[in-house]
Amino acid sequence: MRGAREIIKKELNRVFGDKKLIFSLFILPVALMVGMFFLMGNLSDKMENDVDAHVPSVYIQNAPEGIEGVIEASGFQGDITYLKAGENIDSIKDEILNGSKDLLVSFDEGFMDAIKNYTEGSAIPEVKTYYNPSEEYSSTARTNFVAMVLEPMKQSLLTNRIGNLDNITIFNIDLKIEDSQLVDTQKASGKALGMMLPYFITMLLFAGVMSIAVDAITGEKERGTLASMLVSPVRRVDIVAGKLISISILSSISAIIYAISMVFALPKMMGEMSSEISISLSPVQIIQLIVIMLSLVFLYVSVVSIVSVYAKSMKEANTYVTPMYILVIVAGMITMFSGNNTPDTMMFAIPVYGSALCIQNIMEGELLMSQFLPAIGGTVLLGILITAGIVKAFNSEKVMFNA
Amino acid sequence: MIEINNLTKIYKLSKKQMQEQKTKKNMKKAADHITLTAKPGQIYGLLGPNGAGKTTTLRCVATLLKPTEGDIKVCGFDTVKEGEKVRDNIAFLTNEIKLDPHFSAKYMFQFFGHLHGMNDAEINERREKLFKYFGITEFQDKKIEELSTGMKQKAAIAVSLVHDPKVVIFDEPTNGLDIVTARSVTDYLRVLRDEGKLVIISTHILSDAEKLCDNIGIIIKGKKVIEGTLQEILTKTNTKDLEDAFFELYKEYNMEEE
Repeated sequence: MRGAREIIKKELNRVFGDKKLIFSLFILPVALMVGMFFLMGNLSDKMENDVDAHVPSVYIQNAPEGIEGVIEASGFQGDITYLKAGENIDSIKDEILNGSKDLLVSFDEGFMDAIKNYTEGSAIPEVKTYYNPSEEYSSTARTNFVAMVLEPMKQSLLTNRIGNLDNITIFNIDLKIEDSQLVDTQKASGKALGMMLPYFITMLLFAGVMSIAVDAITGEKERGTLASMLVSPVRRVDIVAGKLISISILSSISAIIYAISMVFALPKMMGEMSSEISISLSPVQIIQLIVIMLSLVFLYVSVVSIVSVYAKSMKEANTYVTPMYILVIVAGMITMFSGNNTPDTMMFAIPVYGSALCIQNIMEGELLMSQFLPAIGGTVLLGILITAGIVKAFNSEKVMFNA
Repeated sequence: MIEINNLTKIYKLSKKQMQEQKTKKNMKKAADHITLTAKPGQIYGLLGPNGAGKTTTLRCVATLLKPTEGDIKVCGFDTVKEGEKVRDNIAFLTNEIKLDPHFSAKYMFQFFGHLHGMNDAEINERREKLFKYFGITEFQDKKIEELSTGMKQKAAIAVSLVHDPKVVIFDEPTNGLDIVTARSVTDYLRVLRDEGKLVIISTHILSDAEKLCDNIGIIIKGKKVIEGTLQEILTKTNTKDLEDAFFELYKEYNMEEE
């Protein structure tokens, strides 16, 4: 193992001795991601504020008597123009369509009389709202107008007609919703995290491995520096071990930095939702999570490495690795939408997918040992098989020297 | 001591390689029953045109390739069965083997010293001696990528000699070097010989072989066609200089089979 130790030392020195490499491997991707989330969060906040601050231009046709008072009392903010019965509204509709006007409310002619003189069987009067659902200003103006003006107006007219509204309420359902929801808040918030984390963790781990392994193996092969190691008296197994372990260490560091920055960036991205997402893991769960992540790193490192060993150039290696990256993303995504049915225990033994399921279950606080062990076993076994393949490739003159 | 016994190396060609080499055969015999012995205290030169099998032979000696037939012993160790012991006794240099450009020559020297199981005191002693000889001391802390081509080559030679190997294998030692650097390299090969090491080189440069080598083996189309000191070769071929001798042999053996 002397050779392996020296190689690990050299690989780590290579990265940590180079400020540019530290920056491009660890700092830049994280800075980009955090910056992106920050920007997304800011932009969506800004959009919301902008919509809130906007004073919608509202047109009301055939306004019933007294509506000005209702609007004023409701606090609805708008630049209101009243139209007479016969006025042409087509040009206003066009302007709503192109976004320059926000809302047109049209009452039936004789709206109030029809309500007052209502007898059973006569026509029910209608209020029509013309708006554009694809324009934020327009749809917000419509929602607010209905909720703040029309609904209260309807309620008060209904009271006029019927008297006590309780007469038409047969029964209530769940007056206090908080009392009736029997929910484990831990599990519920875990569910939200459990949906996203497996996806992010499997994906980010692979991304970290990808950039490091291709350079450490194909890059060295291309530069002719691997050959210098092959003529030293170090066993090929030691060279492979040194390479894989050092790549694993670097990838884990990059994954951890990613994970930590996600924790900080996520609340910013999700705004209010994040206050509901809090999770506390038990020590056993934390250990399980770490073991899963380490086994995944090992598998990913071996997969990317075997591709890198066989590839003749970095370009070729990257061409092969990219589709694998997509596969990993898909495996993570499947768990996002796996729903409520607990998969069969054997499903956990499927590498990558099983690990994603485990992370999901940890977040929901219900990972069984009978699920955890097959997941680790499956991942590690595949990793070992691939590593054996790498050692074989290192011994192959065809692969190493293109002979 | 290098004993090559009946070495044959056959490459299987992929379809793409067959197209590139414009051949319909899917096998290429790069070395064809080569037998030779090189002894300590001499510079043995493998001379031949490009593609004759020189590099293949040297790579087999350096354990990087496995002979298809025959066997090779270096310092008494079999290159296939005792590869690590062989590699501990040799230095193998070619233009294709390079030092990691991101590290300094000093770091690489130490790294390979450690791979050979040396301690820091031994490494430092060797480094002072070798770096001084090749004039690298001044640049030892610079990254390899910042060095000139000649300096890179000298650093690679120094690093490959860290463990004071008994056998030095050098594929095309002066290839791509300016005359000053080339001279310092060939001079050092003489120093190594005088220290009692066995140096084996491949070259297609006749003047190199003429001036440098104590023993010359000429390889044409994978076969060793003649072997001996310069004088012996000239006598056998009845020629005045190595160039004439080479072309005599080339005419004779290259025509065969065609």
